[in-house]
Amino acid sequence: MRLEYDVVIVGSGAGGGTMADRLIPLAKKGAKIAILETGPYYPHEYFTQREVEMLSLLRNNGAWPTVNGSITIAAGEAVGGSTLMYTGVTFKANDNIIREWNVPDLTPEDLRPRFTKLWKELNVIEPKSDMINDNNKLFKKGCDKLGWEVEKIHLNLKNCKQEGFCNIGCATGGKQGILEVQLPKAIKAGIELIPNFTVNRVSDSTVYGTIKKTPPDTKPGKLPPGDVEIKAKRIVLAAGSPGSPAILMRSGFNNKFPALGRYITLHPALTVYGIYPKPVNGFRGFPKTYYTARFSETHDHFIETAFYYPFVSTKHLGLWGTDLRDTMKKYNQFMCMIILNHDKAKRENMVVLDKQNNPHIKYELSPESIESLCHAQAQAARIMFAAGCEKALMPCADKPIFSQEDVPDDKLEEFIKPSNYLSIKVPIASAHPQGGCRMGYSINDSITDSYGKVHGYPWLYVADASLFPQSSHVNPYLTVMALADRIAENLIKTSSSWI
Amino acid sequence: MADVYKLKHLRGTKLKVFLAAANRIIPSDKDSIGGGTLTTAAMVDLSIDKLEPALKKKLLLLFTVMEPLGIFFGGKIFSKASDKNKDRLLSWMEKNPISALRLGFFGLKSYICLGYYTREDAWKIIKYDGPIRYKQPYHDTILRGLAQNKVEIAE
Repeated sequence: MRLEYDVVIVGSGAGGGTMADRLIPLAKKGAKIAILETGPYYPHEYFTQREVEMLSLLRNNGAWPTVNGSITIAAGEAVGGSTLMYTGVTFKANDNIIREWNVPDLTPEDLRPRFTKLWKELNVIEPKSDMINDNNKLFKKGCDKLGWEVEKIHLNLKNCKQEGFCNIGCATGGKQGILEVQLPKAIKAGIELIPNFTVNRVSDSTVYGTIKKTPPDTKPGKLPPGDVEIKAKRIVLAAGSPGSPAILMRSGFNNKFPALGRYITLHPALTVYGIYPKPVNGFRGFPKTYYTARFSETHDHFIETAFYYPFVSTKHLGLWGTDLRDTMKKYNQFMCMIILNHDKAKRENMVVLDKQNNPHIKYELSPESIESLCHAQAQAARIMFAAGCEKALMPCADKPIFSQEDVPDDKLEEFIKPSNYLSIKVPIASAHPQGGCRMGYSINDSITDSYGKVHGYPWLYVADASLFPQSSHVNPYLTVMALADRIAENLIKTSSSWI
Repeated sequence: MADVYKLKHLRGTKLKVFLAAANRIIPSDKDSIGGGTLTTAAMVDLSIDKLEPALKKKLLLLFTVMEPLGIFFGGKIFSKASDKNKDRLLSWMEKNPISALRLGFFGLKSYICLGYYTREDAWKIIKYDGPIRYKQPYHDTILRGLAQNKVEIAE
C-alpha cells in the first residue's frame, strides 16, 4: 500500500502525542497528518488492574533486559507510549541541567514558558492530604524525623479515583497523559492515528513499515494489515529511546552520524522495601506523592515513594526460598520507595540491533552509579527505620534483610556497599531510557540541531527522549513534551516553505 | 465444563525441572502448597508463548540443561536431587561469576513468581486485596481462569 501525507509522526508517546497536538493548526489548514504507533490502541475498559494481564502494555511483555542482562527496561508499547504506564510524576528539568546539555539555542528561558503551558494543559496539581496513603505518610514521617527536606511530587491528574493502578493502565482516565489530553484533540482535528504500525526504516522522505493485525479488544485503525510505504514532506521520529535511534540505524544513518545510538542514559532505579509492624496497604490509594532531593547534588540520586503489585515486587526483592515466601506474607505491611540514579551519558552505552534488527541497549552500570545506588539504599533504610519499620531489605547489604539492631545507624554505609553489588542479582530497572539521537552542534557530535532536525536532512526530525544529550535527572516526560512543543512550533513557523 | 489448558512448552523433563525449581523458589508451608504446581507451570507456559523467540529459546534451554547439572550437586539429576542439593545448584546459579547463569536464574525465578504471585490463591496468603475492578472481563479467558484456579491443566 502506498500513501502520502504532509507530516508523519512515528510514535504516540510523550513526544509524538504532543507533536500531534501542536500540529493541529496545520491540520486545520488542510495538512494531512498521521501518527504511526507500533503498539495497539487500548480502550479504558481494557485495563483490568491485574498485572499478569497488563504485561502486554510493555515492550516484550516487560522482559526486555539490557544486552548484559543487568538492567530490565520497562517501556510502554501502545498508543500513549510510556505515558500509559507512568504514574503522572511531573518534574520540570532543572535550569542547570539544560545549561549543562550545552545545546545551541536551547535555554532554560526558552523551555520555561513551555513547561508552564503544559503544566496547565495537563492539570498538574500538588496532591492534597486526602491523596496521601499510608506508604507515603510513612515516607514523610521518616524524613521529618531525620530532619530531611521532603517535597510533594506534582501529578497530572483530574478527578483521580485513587484506585492505585496507574502503572498498569488508568481505567478511569484520571491520569492526564497523552491518551486523555493530546490525542483526543488531535484525532478530533482530523489527524489520523494508525495503531499496530511498525516502522522498519525511513529513506528519501518515505516511511517503510508494516501494519500488524489488531489484537483482541483493542481499537482498530482504518488500514488493513500489510506492508505500507508512506511518502511525507516531514517525518518526525518520536519512537522514544531506543526506538528512534534504532529506526535511523536500520535506515543506514549510522554511517554518517558517529554519535547515533550512543550516549544512552537509563536513570537506573532500585525499588526497596521495609517491613512495618502494621498493615500499610500501599497498593491502595495514589502510589507516589513525596520525594526527597536531599542527595541529588551530593550523591546523584532521588528517593521517591512508590508501590508495586505482587509479582513485580518479587523481582525487586531479589529473594527466593523461605526468605521470599515469608517476606511476601507481609506484602500488606511493605513500606516501599524507589531510588533513581542520575547516570552520566557515556559514548560506550549504546543501542545495538540484533539479527532481526530489533533494538537492544548495551549498557554498563558505572562504578559511580553503583556507589550512588548503595548510598541511596543506606538513606532509604534510615527513612524506613525512622518511620518505624522493623526490617529493611536492601540488595547491596551484607545481609539482605536486617533490623536496626543488626546495624548501628553510623555503620549503614559500611553495611550496604558497592562490593556487594553483583549485576543481575541486584535487580536494577529502568523506565526512563534517554539519548541516542542527541541534539548538538554538528554531525560529528550529534544527530539533530536544537529543533530536532536531523543534520543535513530537512525532511527528518526527532522529538522524544532520545534527543537528550545527558540525563534529565528527573522523570523525563514533561521535558520531552516541552521539546516536542518547541519542535512543532518551528515546523509551523517554517511550514510555508515546505507544505 | 471447565476450560482445559494443555501445556505447550513445559513438558517432559522441562516440566519436571520447572516444578522442582518452583518448589524451592517458593517452598510450601502450612499456608500454601508452594510454587511447584501445574497451575504455576501453566501460567508460565502461557507467558513463554508470548516471549521474544530468542529469550524463549534461552529459557527453555535452561530447563533442559539444569537437569543433568544436578549431578554435580550431590550425584542426582536436578528433579531427583534432595532439597538441599537443589538449593545448592540454584544458589550457585544465582551467584555465579558467569553472567549468563545469573541471568538464567533471574529468568527462572521471575517466571516462577509470575506463575504464582499473579494468582488469586496466592493473593489471599499475602493479604493483597486484588483489583478494585475485580469483575472487569479480559479476552484471554484461559489466563484469567488459571489465575482463578478455574481451568483444568493437561500435560
